[in-house]
Amino acid sequence: MVSVRNLSHSYGNDGRLAVDDVSFDIGKGETFGFLGPSGAGKSTTQGVLTGLLRLQKGEVTVAGYDLRTVRKERFNKIGVSFEQANVYSKLTALENLRFYADLFDAPTRDPHELLELVGLAGRENDRAGSFSKGMKHRLAFARSMLNYPELWFLDEPTTGLDPAIAAVIKGVIKAEQAKGTTTFLTTHNMYIADELCDRVAFIVDGSIKLVDTPRNLKQRYGKKLVEVEYLRDDGSIAKETLRTVDEGDRERLAGIVRSRDIVTMHSKEATLEEIFIQITGRGLD
Amino acid sequence: MKLASAYRKEMTIAFRGFYFYVEIVIALILLAVLLLAVDEYPEGREKEYAFYDASPAVVDAVFAELIEEGTLVPGEPEELTMKPASFEVADEAAGTSARYSFDEPRAVSARTMLEMDRSTGRKKKTIYLLDSEDDLLRLSFSSGDVGAVIRPGDDGRLYYRYILQGYETERVSNLLYALHAGSLDELGDAMDRQAVRSLGPVDRLDARESAVPLFVTFAGSLMGFFIVMAYLYLDKNEGAIKAIAVTPATVRTYLLSKTLVIMSTVLASSSVIVIPVMGAKPDYLLFYPFLLATTFAFAALGLFVASFFDSMDDAFGALYAIMIAFMLPAFSYLIGSFDPVWLRFFPTYPVLQVFKAVMLGKTDVPYALAVLAAFLVGGAAILLAAEARFKKTLTV
Ligand SMILES: Nc1ncnc2c1ncn2[C@@H]1O[C@H](COP(=O)(O)OP(=O)(O)OP(=O)(O)O)[C@@H](O)[C@H]1O
Ligand SMILES: [Mg+2]
Repeated sequence: MVSVRNLSHSYGNDGRLAVDDVSFDIGKGETFGFLGPSGAGKSTTQGVLTGLLRLQKGEVTVAGYDLRTVRKERFNKIGVSFEQANVYSKLTALENLRFYADLFDAPTRDPHELLELVGLAGRENDRAGSFSKGMKHRLAFARSMLNYPELWFLDEPTTGLDPAIAAVIKGVIKAEQAKGTTTFLTTHNMYIADELCDRVAFIVDGSIKLVDTPRNLKQRYGKKLVEVEYLRDDGSIAKETLRTVDEGDRERLAGIVRSRDIVTMHSKEATLEEIFIQITGRGLD
Repeated sequence: MKLASAYRKEMTIAFRGFYFYVEIVIALILLAVLLLAVDEYPEGREKEYAFYDASPAVVDAVFAELIEEGTLVPGEPEELTMKPASFEVADEAAGTSARYSFDEPRAVSARTMLEMDRSTGRKKKTIYLLDSEDDLLRLSFSSGDVGAVIRPGDDGRLYYRYILQGYETERVSNLLYALHAGSLDELGDAMDRQAVRSLGPVDRLDARESAVPLFVTFAGSLMGFFIVMAYLYLDKNEGAIKAIAVTPATVRTYLLSKTLVIMSTVLASSSVIVIPVMGAKPDYLLFYPFLLATTFAFAALGLFVASFFDSMDDAFGALYAIMIAFMLPAFSYLIGSFDPVWLRFFPTYPVLQVFKAVMLGKTDVPYALAVLAAFLVGGAAILLAAEARFKKTLTV
């Protein structure tokens, strides 16, 4: 569905690359996550893939269209949800969806049904300007599904939403996955990536460090952490998390076991975030 | 159709916004001012100084005749004061010039004659009758009003010598010449060549009507240009442009829908003024197409200029300079004697001229159509240029 080869993108002429030689593929029906800290280049990648940013360098095919030739009709197959909840504040929720639907040359979904889906039923005729941030976000999210997209771009779909609303959005995304929609999802939330993505790419400073399924990642790196609590000489409790794959950590663990009073010790499954830190040397926030 | 839907959306937003009502309210206020506060035929405040170089008996005889005709009505004598002054007077006919210098202030009492407009019965001009040519020169110099030295010739005709200020256009002097001294036939050629617009009393918009061409010109140019930019930046701030960019709708559809909204707004606000004030007088069949074509071009220019700036704040300098440039031709319109050639290169100049003619119902149709076509073609070219630029910059 998406094929990216050696994509680079720069905003200025200073040679600084926001995206630096990135390659990946997304198969049909797959949910592909871009996980990385702020400023990593996630939105920039989505911008190029959705045609908002001009393709500068690399080869990109999206939904069967080579991005070097601009074909507007490809958007009939694509849905895009943005980081910013960009709806017309002067139009009602319903009008926002209706006018948007008119811009497609493809069948579109019933706006009422979509508003219901994202929990905005009953607010159809209120102007988006009177909505809270979360409501606007849900409206923009609903809008991205209007044209039954085969390929769905979601930029931070749950960031800044309260947990209940985030749960609604996650539910909708899962339902679309079940229907076979291919999804490109960017986030800096590892729980979202873990829960929703078939495969995850770790992106830092514009480059992809690794691509794998959350499960493989956890199998490879999980259960390989040992959390140990022991008594110091002064009687206080010290706590350390040590990696069993690291030679230094193993020796340290052996040393603690030999010479200290152990309070608790158990192996622990690494979260995606911990794995992210191990691999990239960087946190997600 | 996408354009129709986009247009409906933009109109809905415009109706719920601020700018649409600003235009309509401005039009309504102006309409109220024009209808309630502006007299259609205001009294002329023009002054002219005259010195009759003849014996009092001859002068009285001449006036008796003019009063008899109804052209002049005797007025109250007025006290006139003169300050010390020095200046130079050039005689164009002789090609000579003379310096004058007066060191003493001076006060005289002057008889006045009121020149009347026979069709409206209103005063057009006050003529001050002076006793010396020196007084005439001093008063004409200090006030900037026209002075005339009149001498009855041996042939029984009156000979006029006019004191002008030197900045009047040739047209003004020609008209004065034609008015008194020569026949119009003599001037015919010269006037045709200059494409003289009628300055005479025949084809004149009255005081109320003469505000209308100005308003409709500025509704399309200034307001159209400004408001289309405001709308565009509103969309940019809300980010709605990005959402449109990821649909099959084109940038062109988007830009066209914006210009159509501006055209509709200008259509409404102009009608608010034109129909009540002008009634059936204008050439409406020409007025509306011309209004729409010119507004289209000005809105396209607004979009093009907007493509160079990220926000209204960034664009403000350019916006301001262009709006001032659009306003300049109004000076020529308001001050008939000020009409330098360079002003004609400002796009609002021909628009103002055509609207004036259209309001009189006396349009030079081929000229108006040529201007209309030029604006349509130019507007389309500018819109294409804006489209090319926006394809790259609209969404970042
Ligand atoms: N419009 C822009 N002009 C110039 N630089 C930009 C622009 N947008 C992003 N950048 C730069 O490009 C880099 C990548 O930004 P991008 O928005 O893609 O990050 P992101 O991974 O989406 O971050 P976030 O999690 O904060 O959304 C950053 O260094 C950012 O400063
Ligand atoms: Mg981002």
